[in-house]
Formats: sequence, C-alpha cells, structure tokens
Amino acid sequence: MAASKENNGRTIAEINQKIKSGDVQVVTAEEMKKLVESSGIEVAYKEVDVVTTGTFGAMCSSGAIINIGHSDPPIKIQKAWINDVEVSHPGAAVDLYIGASQMSETNPFEYGGGHIIEDLIAGKQVELRAISYGTDCYPRTKLDTVITKDDLNQFYLLNFRNCYQRYVCATNSRDEIIYTYMGKLLPRFRNATYSGAGALNPLMNDPDYETIGIGTRIFLGGAQGYVLGEGTQHDPGNKFGTIMVRGDCKQMSPEFISGGAFTKYGTSLYIGMGIPIPILNKGLAKKTALRDEEIFTDIVDYGVPRRDRPKLGKVSYATLKSGEVTINDRKVKVSSMSSLKKAKKISCILKSWIEDGTFYLSAPSETLPTNSVCNPMKQSDEIVLVSTVAQAAVTCSVDEDIKAVAQRIISNSVNHVVVTDKSGAIKGIVTSWDLTRAIAEGKTRLADIITKKVFTTRPDVSLEEASRKLAQHHISALPVIDRNKKVVGLITSEDISKLRGR
Amino acid sequence: MKEMDRILLRFSEENVEEPITSQVILELGIPMRIVTATINSLGGDILVEVPKVHLKKIVQAFKAKGVVVKFPKLIEVNYDLCIDCGACYALCPVNAISFKEDNSIVFDENTCIGSPCGLCVDSCPARAISLVEQNRNNQK
Repeated sequence: MAASKENNGRTIAEINQKIKSGDVQVVTAEEMKKLVESSGIEVAYKEVDVVTTGTFGAMCSSGAIINIGHSDPPIKIQKAWINDVEVSHPGAAVDLYIGASQMSETNPFEYGGGHIIEDLIAGKQVELRAISYGTDCYPRTKLDTVITKDDLNQFYLLNFRNCYQRYVCATNSRDEIIYTYMGKLLPRFRNATYSGAGALNPLMNDPDYETIGIGTRIFLGGAQGYVLGEGTQHDPGNKFGTIMVRGDCKQMSPEFISGGAFTKYGTSLYIGMGIPIPILNKGLAKKTALRDEEIFTDIVDYGVPRRDRPKLGKVSYATLKSGEVTINDRKVKVSSMSSLKKAKKISCILKSWIEDGTFYLSAPSETLPTNSVCNPMKQSDEIVLVSTVAQAAVTCSVDEDIKAVAQRIISNSVNHVVVTDKSGAIKGIVTSWDLTRAIAEGKTRLADIITKKVFTTRPDVSLEEASRKLAQHHISALPVIDRNKKVVGLITSEDISKLRGR
Repeated sequence: MKEMDRILLRFSEENVEEPITSQVILELGIPMRIVTATINSLGGDILVEVPKVHLKKIVQAFKAKGVVVKFPKLIEVNYDLCIDCGACYALCPVNAISFKEDNSIVFDENTCIGSPCGLCVDSCPARAISLVEQNRNNQK
C-alpha cells in the first residue's frame, strides 16, 4: 500500500493514522530546508510527513469576543470599558469585542485592548464598566464589576487579519524621527525595520494554499486554534496572503499572546502562530524548502505618508535577518519587529505536539482563495494637494529695510514674508509678530529677527500632511518649496481652515 | 582590545570649572576615553572608560581631588518583559544591543551610553527598557 501511495502522494487521513501510531515524521521548516539541501527533495518528500512553521509578531487586526453573562437586573450594554479601554458591543446584551488596537482612555499609547487580552489570559482581574439606556426587558443602566477569564462564558480570539505571508522593509527619508506601526524610524534613512519570519512563515511554506483554509487546525497563542478563511486584505497575487483565525483564549499562554505599545502610534497584540504543512505531494516538499535568500520584499519609504509609498529597492529576508541592509548605497542596521526566537520555538512546540499525538491535522473544507485582489478605497473625495491651496508667497531679501518689509505685510494683508536669496531659494521667514517684537526690543536689522530654521512643505504633499506639520510644530504657515529649495508659494492654517469650511 | 571599565565622574558646583580630568590624565599618564559629558547648574557628569588594570589608581586620583566616583548602571532591561523582537536593535548608535545564538536580545551594559542617548527606550513594544536616572541627590 505504501508503495502505491508514494506516487499518488499522502493524504491527511494517512498522516493522522501515523500520528496515532506514533510513526509520524515531523520536521520544522528550518530543519526541512537543511534536509532538502543535504539530501535532496526526493528523500525529504519520502521521509517527511509534516513540516511545522511559526511566526510571532504584532497583528493589529485582532481581538477577543467575550460573553460576560447576564447581571440581575439585566443590562443591554450600550457602551462598555475594560480597564478604561472601550470595548465594542457588536451584538446582543452582554457580548463584547475587545479590539487589540483600541487604546485606554486614561493611559493611551501605553495600554490597550491587546494588553487586556494578555492580562485576562495571564489570570489577572480586570475592571468592567458599562452603561445603557435601559429597556423594558433590560432595565439596568449602569454596571461596575471586576472579572477574570474564569467569569467569562466564552473568551475567544477572533482575528480578522493575521499572519501576513511577508511584509515590507520600512525606512524614513524625512529630516525627523517618525513613529510608525513599523516602529521608530530615524531621519534620513539611518535605520530600517521589517516584520515576519521569512522562510519560517506559515503561508510562505504553502504559497499556493494547497493545505490551508477553512478549518485548518493551527497553533494559536500557545493553544490549538483554527483558520476561519482568508484574512482581510488577503492579496495572494502579490504574496501578501493573510488569514482569519479563531482560538480559545482560556487555553492560551501569555508567552505567545502579549500586548504591545507602539510609541505615538498605538497599541497592538503580539500573536504567536504556527501552521502544520502536510507534505501531500512532492511539490509541497519543494515549497517548504524555500529559503530566506529566495524571499524578497520592497524597501519602502515611510517618510512619505501616502497610500503608495516610494519603493527604494528590494531586499531578501536573508539580508534582513543579517541585521544590515543597503539603502541608497549606504549600509544601515535593520530591526525586526517580530520575534524570530519565538517563531522558531512555536515551530518546535507544534512539532512536539504532533509527535506526541496531541495534535492531529485537519483538512480544510475550503482552501484560501488564490485569485482574490486587494483594492484601494473608493473615495468620494479626491486628495487635495498643497499646490491647489497654496498662495503666492510674499518675499523679501535679508538685507532689506525692516520698514519696507512691514509695508509689504500691510499692502499684501499677510502675516508671513518669506526671506529668499537672489535665486529665490529659501533663507528664512519673518512674521508680523517678529516685526512687533523688533519694535518692542528696538531691533532695526532684518537679519536679527528672521527665523532661519524654517519648516517647509512641497507642492505635491497632501493637505493632511501639511496640516499635521503645522499642528505638530505649533506654527501658522509653511513656505512651499521645490526640489531646489526655491520658494513657490506659502500655505497658511487660515487657508486650510477656509477650505474645510470652518 | 584592552579591557576597560566605566566610571561616572561627578563634579560639584564648586569644582566643575577646574580642569581635574586633564590633570589626572597628565599626572598618571593614562589615557581615558570620554564617553559622554553633561554639565548643568548642579555641576557636571563625565562618563569615562579607563583601562581595567589602572582602575584603582584612577579612582583614587579623582577622589583625592574631590570628585565623586560612581560605577554607573545606565540602563535597566527587564528580560521577563522582553519579547525578543529586536525593535531596539537598529537604533543603538554604539552597537550595545545584539542577538545571541538563540535569537534572544542581549544588552551590553558596558557599551550602552545611557541617558544622553536613550533612542531604544520608547521603541520597545513591551516597555522592557528604562534608563537609570543618575540621581545627584542619591549618592550611593
């Protein structure tokens, strides 16, 4: 029987039989690559029944559904908070969804939904607060109680986008540090970050989704969980596949589920996940042998806050894992945002579960789609660029008389005059307030009162980006400059307010 | 490379203007590497690296000139909280953060320069890193 099956491949039922009898051959994805390298695909295919994978990273589109049971008198919860984090109320009276990225109202950016899930899994008490409008059947309008996971009827992780097949490498072109969901990015491409386990990633080891789909049993947060189907933004064509998953939090461990805080960005949930890939055919043996050297991703400039960020090149996961990448011909250090140590550990634990006969494989009732696409948003408004709102800049040169500049401010009814050199390049800015102060302080030279370090913007920048810059630096105008630092206009907070009809 | 030790030299309001560090270097003829230096209204702190073999001699020389010498702990890493992601790794300007063979993160406390930098602190999603304040009123 075994001989005839060799040509037709294995079935999941056969593998499960071998798990039961204790004959199953399991290797981690890392071991599989070594085995194929040393003995070839034929041997690896013959010897290996299952390849285990793993990943551990921040997965924001996650959360937990909980049912807290009915109070007496009962309440139909309208709004609820756990540890000051608002938890949404998607259904009937006492079902709540703890969204991983929802932040605490009293300790935002540091504590959020992800931390609540971790705390509950760790056995900690949390404070639940709820309000309601009251109904004939649910008269209660206020609730204050303290609960642990033992008080919950259901406590399930229900994540709608997890386990990205691969992700981009992020860097920053700006002159300032930026804080993103890809971490802290230093100015002028001084560092980079990436995410994902590369050749250990579950979806990467089954890139055509032959074995993964609805009902696939997986390692999730230290317990057994299930794939519910493809995740949101699943993009198989670009090898950016994702999955939707479910798992029983009461069985999970905080070692593989932990809240995370991204400075100035928000909170998230770190999730450990592993999928067993049954080696049903020779093709899967070959696919699970994929190495980090063969997985490439784009280096992307997060300094440009647009949907399509500029790409600066391609890099392999092998290079990323080396800790150093080349950006614009310069070597810079690159940080991982996900833990390779935990990813490896997960693939090892999953292997031992299967070997011990405590984890059986399940055939998906429907595999993940291989042809769906991820479209951008259909917007009813169009992007507004600085160039459409900017006005002509009133300019002066540094050696002009203060009085002449003051007159120009009055005759043009403006508050800002941009200082330029002969070529029209920016040298500074002077405001009506600077002139007022000059009079008060008895200063007469323009050079003594101009601001030389000026925040500027570009014509092709979105209005939102320019507004954010104005707000962040508490300023009221930005000179608009071109690539040669030549002044081409000025945008003021007043112009922006007018456009927004405020 | 010679084995080095780090000491924090604490100057008071009274002696901060005197060229004590230079004097010690000249008197002992031992080069020291100044890692960071900060001066404020209360005096000044200089973090220096000195050859381990001459540590005793150097500490004595500074103490004799009225300088408080401390062996500073500049950074505190809570490895129980650390999830070994490595978000901090690429931010360190002095390569004090590295991965061990088993992919876990390790801080070299003798290389870290502490509060003048602190770039890694707010990059940690697990909030496992904190700077140790060199409290002037708490002269341990």
